[in-house]
Amino acid sequence: MQLETFRYDNTIVKKFTLATVFWGIVGMLVGLLIALQLFIPALNFGIPFLTFGRIRPLHTNAVIFAFVGNGIFMGFYYMIQRLCKARIFSDFLAKVHFWGWQFIIVCAAITLPLGITTSKEYAELEWPIDILITLVWVVFAINLIGTILKRREKHMYVAIWFFIATVVTVAVLHIVNSLELPVSMLKSYSIYGGVQDALVQWWYGHNAVAFFLTTPYLGLMYYYLPKAANRPVYSYRLSIIHFWSLIFIYIWAGPHHLLYSALPDWAQSLGTVFSIMLIAPSWGGMINGLLTLRGAWDKVREEPVLKFMVVAITAYGMATFEGPMLSLKNVNALAHFTDWIIAHVHVGALGWNGFLTFGILYWLVPKLWNTQLYSKKLANFHFWIGFLGIVFYAASMYWSGITQSLMWKQFTPEGTLQYPNFLETVLQIIPMYIIRATGGALFLTGIFVMVYNLVRTARQGTFINEEEAQAAPLVKEPTKYKGHIWLESRPIQFTILATVAILVGGLFEMVPTFLIKTNIPTIASVKPYTPLELQGRDIYIANGCNSCHSQLIRPFRSETERYGEYSKAGEFVYDHPFLWGSKRTGPDLQRVGKKYPNLWHYNHMMDPRTMSPNSIMPPYPWLAESTIDIASTAPKISAMRKLGVPYPVGFETIAEQELRKQADTIALDLQKSGVPVESDKQIIALIAYLQRLGTDIKAKAN
Amino acid sequence: MNKSFLPKGKIMLLTLSLVLLSSSMAFAQTEEAPDLGKVFHIGIFIFFALVFFVLITLIAYHNSEDNEVPSLIKALSFLNSKLTNATPIENEEAVLLNHDYDGIKELDNVLPPWWKYLFYVTIVWGGVYLFNYHVINIWPLSDGEYQEEVKQAEAQKAILLGSGALVNEKTVTLLTDQAAIFSGGEIFKKNCAACHGFKGEGLVGPNLTDNYWIHGGGIKNVFRTVSNGVPDKGMLTWKTQLKPKEIQEVASYVISLQGTNPPNAKPPQGTLWAEAPADSTKKDSVKK
Repeated sequence: MQLETFRYDNTIVKKFTLATVFWGIVGMLVGLLIALQLFIPALNFGIPFLTFGRIRPLHTNAVIFAFVGNGIFMGFYYMIQRLCKARIFSDFLAKVHFWGWQFIIVCAAITLPLGITTSKEYAELEWPIDILITLVWVVFAINLIGTILKRREKHMYVAIWFFIATVVTVAVLHIVNSLELPVSMLKSYSIYGGVQDALVQWWYGHNAVAFFLTTPYLGLMYYYLPKAANRPVYSYRLSIIHFWSLIFIYIWAGPHHLLYSALPDWAQSLGTVFSIMLIAPSWGGMINGLLTLRGAWDKVREEPVLKFMVVAITAYGMATFEGPMLSLKNVNALAHFTDWIIAHVHVGALGWNGFLTFGILYWLVPKLWNTQLYSKKLANFHFWIGFLGIVFYAASMYWSGITQSLMWKQFTPEGTLQYPNFLETVLQIIPMYIIRATGGALFLTGIFVMVYNLVRTARQGTFINEEEAQAAPLVKEPTKYKGHIWLESRPIQFTILATVAILVGGLFEMVPTFLIKTNIPTIASVKPYTPLELQGRDIYIANGCNSCHSQLIRPFRSETERYGEYSKAGEFVYDHPFLWGSKRTGPDLQRVGKKYPNLWHYNHMMDPRTMSPNSIMPPYPWLAESTIDIASTAPKISAMRKLGVPYPVGFETIAEQELRKQADTIALDLQKSGVPVESDKQIIALIAYLQRLGTDIKAKAN
Repeated sequence: MNKSFLPKGKIMLLTLSLVLLSSSMAFAQTEEAPDLGKVFHIGIFIFFALVFFVLITLIAYHNSEDNEVPSLIKALSFLNSKLTNATPIENEEAVLLNHDYDGIKELDNVLPPWWKYLFYVTIVWGGVYLFNYHVINIWPLSDGEYQEEVKQAEAQKAILLGSGALVNEKTVTLLTDQAAIFSGGEIFKKNCAACHGFKGEGLVGPNLTDNYWIHGGGIKNVFRTVSNGVPDKGMLTWKTQLKPKEIQEVASYVISLQGTNPPNAKPPQGTLWAEAPADSTKKDSVKK
């Protein structure tokens, strides 16, 4: 047969390589900064843009979408061409993909510190950026499918299966979770409210972990590990079974983020059982990775690339065992809202994603520049300091999470809380925060060493823009294969089947929650927010208060004693978006309404340490200077009505007047207490919102 | 050739840092012994997690073609071949498929039996879980669990009140011993001074040193006001933050401030509270 000669494009790989390293450093520097802020609050330098609530989302977004995202594309563009024996479908689209993705990241880096956010975790970016993400993702999808279609290799290798699942699922997740009603260019409200919004968000959040941090990286592992170890993949049939079971089961597990919440019990239970069933499919990937190294362990001792990969795969195995354990009700009761979860995600992020990326970089850069790695010694140093960083990070956060949770739950023999003052439980774990920051700094140091090593490597070689290859074209022939191997030669059918597999779980959980009324029993005394409260809520969102404060009281006596009656589904029906939060660095706020006088809130916002000595919350003095965007009130009210919040018709016209009336009352009260604040300041709206929180059913209870 | 996966220097470094880590963690330990049941659960969890991963790493690790493999590794190697039922490397040609993707070949080893059965077990477990919670309802859901927890706590409280180990607004008495007043003062400075002033002169909250009271004077009323708070007026509920004994102490301290006339005192609020100083506990109990 006539061989065809063609060329692989390496320049796009180089672009994504640089972006991966650059954004990795940026994302982790921001991470280090917020880790330091937790014990040195002054490190926000009194600048609103650098407050913890605003840059924590910047850290998570930068690490997930900028560092890991670019890492995915870096690995992908190198691998897909070689696995398909074809040049990338379109060089132009690849460039659009690259620059589009970087533009999105820059938009995120600008808008998040400005407080332009939807508040939904890992989906904080506002609607225009959401649309941009969708478009760029479509470009990526075209390049993936296009390259597959012009392949010269009859069957698709397992790495490609994982990328097909990734492309389809991330698109579905992103679009469904980002459905929002724009109020202005930079503000929108989620079309889902309360419990439903929570379900959709955590279906998204959980599967962003699954299909952005896991499946593409498994795809990369299936290519780069056997390449680096020069060993055959351990078991083809294990690949098939664990691939399909993984993508089918993963999608169901989202509700485990909402155990003991106001989500209906049946949905919580589905989250638990599917998480447990996920152990084996997840471990299938780990087994196939580790056992591929059979007979190559002597190489692992010598080769930094393999060392990184082995730790990455082991970290993957640990995190995917821990995840299901955290989905058990009794473990979750202890771990949720604590630093345990922070430890868990960082074992995944630093260990699995971080170390696999480093392993790939150490393998790929010498290949791209046609040379050897500059220094194995430095790479080994990076390995050990990075490993140590992970150990410091994870161990301190486990300890901190368990300590704090036990303190939250501890009762005295008289039946009262042993540590009623939340702050006491925070101060107890400050030493752990210091160790965690140290771990992070070690990890980051390793990256700087890697950058030096890779730069020296590139300098000593010459970059190969285009790599020539030869292969025979694909001939159309009547298929002689049956079963899965047939499917591997049919990309379209494969994609359709994968789409069906990932849709089932989500539909099964969402449709009943949206359509069956008894799932969210209504409470008559729960009323929509007043215009001022609504504005206050948006200020709460803009400042990322939900980064540290939950609004969800779980049905445990230790929580009802501390915070008040536990959260009911019907209380959140007008919350677009929901603000349950996922971490309690500070206390829960769902029933903070009317608990303190207005003046307390005012003083607390100006400087938390006057009301709670040693508090690690940053001061927000600018809230007393910035004014409420009163003109936005009417559009906000009508947007909310469109989403089903029962404001009377024509309420927009008097909303502004209502807002001023309520604002004046609060300003007057503050003035009486000796604090003159103009009634159009943001602090007034925020106080109004806080004083409303959770009071609708308090009134009923009394 | 250095056959050790971890060179000695690195093991030392690792051990040293772990020791450092654990000793600094000891600082963060709570003084009170935490609930042993919970610690036990976590301990079991961590233990199994560790065992699993050590085993798995070793299983994978054993396969090196070393001749000098230690006996532990040899034993694990045997265990591994049982667990994974893998075709030995020497015969791997037998399971080598004709796949070749950019030089990557694939074996077709059988699914490791332990993995397969783990998968089956989790599926069965899932079925049992759903069945017990949602079909035959023999396991309590969140609210059921919560009600049970509250019921037990109430029962416990009734026993304590009966035995006198616990005080409430009906059984509370004024403390006058110096130690109690002193610790009441400490509690006051920490929690109350922000609103009532360091000397009780009143700031946001009312003056506590005159004999005018908004919600009634005397130990029983003050105890009740501190316990339940007056949320509408901004007085917090302290019973969730302070122990009954502490509320008794701080209430006694507040009463000890009567007539101290601190500087900058806020004007009186509420109604004049008349009581016989020597016998305060009897008289005020009727006032609601």
